[in-house]
Amino acid sequence: MEIVVCVKPVPESETRLRVSADGTSLDPEAVKFVLAGYDESAVEQALLLKESLPGSKVHAVSFGPAPRTEEVLRAAIALGCDQATWVEAPPGPAPDPVATGRALARPIFAMPHDLVLCGKQAGDDEAGLVAAVLGELLGVPDVGFVVDLRFDVPSGRLRFRRATEGGLELWEAPTPCVIGLQQAWNDPRTAKLPAILKSRRVAIAKVPYAPEDSSAPRSVAEKFELPPPRTGAAMIEYKTPAEAAAKLVRVLREEAKVFP
Amino acid sequence: MPDFSLTPEEESLRDLARKFARGEMAPVAAECDRSGRFPEEVYRKAHGLGLMNLNVPTEYGGSGLGVFAQCLIVEELAYACGGMTTSIIANCLALEPILLGGTAEQKTRILTPFCADYRFAAFCLTEPSGGSDAGALRTVARRDGESYVLDGEKCFITNGPHAELYTVFATVDPSLRHRGITAFVVPRATEGVLPGKDEEKMGHRASSTGTIRFEKVRVPATQRLGGEGEGFALAMRTLDQTRTPIGALATGIAQAALDHAARYATKRYTFGKPIAEHQAIQIKLANMAQAIRAARLLTWHAAWTIDRGARGTLESSIAKCFASDAALHVADEAIQTFGGYGYMKDYPVEKLLRDAKLTQIYEGANEIQRTVIARELLKSYD
Repeated sequence: MEIVVCVKPVPESETRLRVSADGTSLDPEAVKFVLAGYDESAVEQALLLKESLPGSKVHAVSFGPAPRTEEVLRAAIALGCDQATWVEAPPGPAPDPVATGRALARPIFAMPHDLVLCGKQAGDDEAGLVAAVLGELLGVPDVGFVVDLRFDVPSGRLRFRRATEGGLELWEAPTPCVIGLQQAWNDPRTAKLPAILKSRRVAIAKVPYAPEDSSAPRSVAEKFELPPPRTGAAMIEYKTPAEAAAKLVRVLREEAKVFP
Repeated sequence: MPDFSLTPEEESLRDLARKFARGEMAPVAAECDRSGRFPEEVYRKAHGLGLMNLNVPTEYGGSGLGVFAQCLIVEELAYACGGMTTSIIANCLALEPILLGGTAEQKTRILTPFCADYRFAAFCLTEPSGGSDAGALRTVARRDGESYVLDGEKCFITNGPHAELYTVFATVDPSLRHRGITAFVVPRATEGVLPGKDEEKMGHRASSTGTIRFEKVRVPATQRLGGEGEGFALAMRTLDQTRTPIGALATGIAQAALDHAARYATKRYTFGKPIAEHQAIQIKLANMAQAIRAARLLTWHAAWTIDRGARGTLESSIAKCFASDAALHVADEAIQTFGGYGYMKDYPVEKLLRDAKLTQIYEGANEIQRTVIARELLKSYD
């Protein structure tokens, strides 16, 4: 199976974000970028499928500026992706999700793709639109909020679950299609040291950005501001003490930043 | 112009170590410190990710890193737990004599199968009668046909009780002092190799340290590294390679101490304001930060010197000595910043002081480092 996985660099969750001087974007200076959490799940899903279907290949694709986009593609290769393609973003503000979908769809259309995976959304803008745009542009079905994706060899169809409010739906879909993965359901692997070293030497295909993909944006970020400092208490809802502790640790680490 | 920026590759290695340290080591660090448990599950994962045999070339199944990259990794690991870091990097020390003194045949025969699986090796130099005066060691290697018979006792051996392979320094003739010392690679499975119990230690409690007795241990001459009498120089060259990462280990402990202290200082109020706004505490934090920066830069400089092919005896001794002294001082000041809480085991800083202490003692006590520094220094005044 030829699997394409779309990856995006996003600020690490522990990064202290600053709004740019003109207030219309986030200041990328001193921000550490990492592979988006949802996309980590998509890469893991791609690798699980590859391992279960001999002869499969995984091709990572990303759209964004240097150097962070190249770095997330290398991270994807270190995890086990076979190839990588980078569409370099033009200078200026980040393109909206439709422009991003177009930029990604162009090289994907030209490469073999039985299945296109991506995170159902990205941890920075949380727009969650790229999978749908890709499905539309590639002319194939798209489904989001997916967990536990398998390929049923006899029927040649994908079987998976869709995480919805209060339950899991059982789905199947033909190939090719676009799937948006839920975050962290599959315990994404960590790249090994030798694979990290090897990933530095893999050639990344660079595709020029097609100016016609950047038509008038459908959405524009007018103003960014940090949330006002919160006062008072927050309640943690839980069923078991272990769950309460896990949630509390997450809040202390990621929100209160009491410890790293 | 010196360049202190890291390459993307170096950043990726550091990120891997940071992720492992915070995800796998930190959650069990306090528990292992309390119980003295040797967390095999952590070490097994470290091996799986390629974090254990950092200095062994990739052709023998190691990670093939230079000293600088090793230092980046070791500092991150030590930030989470100095003791676990010691056990994770002890293979580097134990295998370095094979890398420096082994023949191509020995490297392939010994290192390749060793590195393929999760295993420990242990460096056996120190003896009950002394460590710093290595020339006076008493373990004897008596030649008998095509083999040697080893008799003696080694102590304070990191990972000794868990190791499957020992690099042992013994003398073929005690009257020759350091000119009689010879190095051997001895599998644990050899008859007469008797690992003792785990020692109860003040710090580095997640690491294992023990005595190994060698009773009439027959070792084929093919397991000898280099010639007879070449063991002392081999041990010294080994320590030149491995001393710098101990500076990085100490720096990691110190950085953890500063981070704990600074975070606490912004949250703890006295006299109506956070103690971080009191000058007495600010001076402490500033001095801690300076010591850590200096320790890191000395460590990086020593690593850079060695990676450029120089022996780096002076640079690595300065780095190890300075960084370990800094770590003890910084950990001490972190406890002071926490006040009474710092002295309590419920808080993380007293462990850092206990862990920092060992870095002044092992891999060449700081008194020996100063002897070495003075000797190297005085060469230029002859």
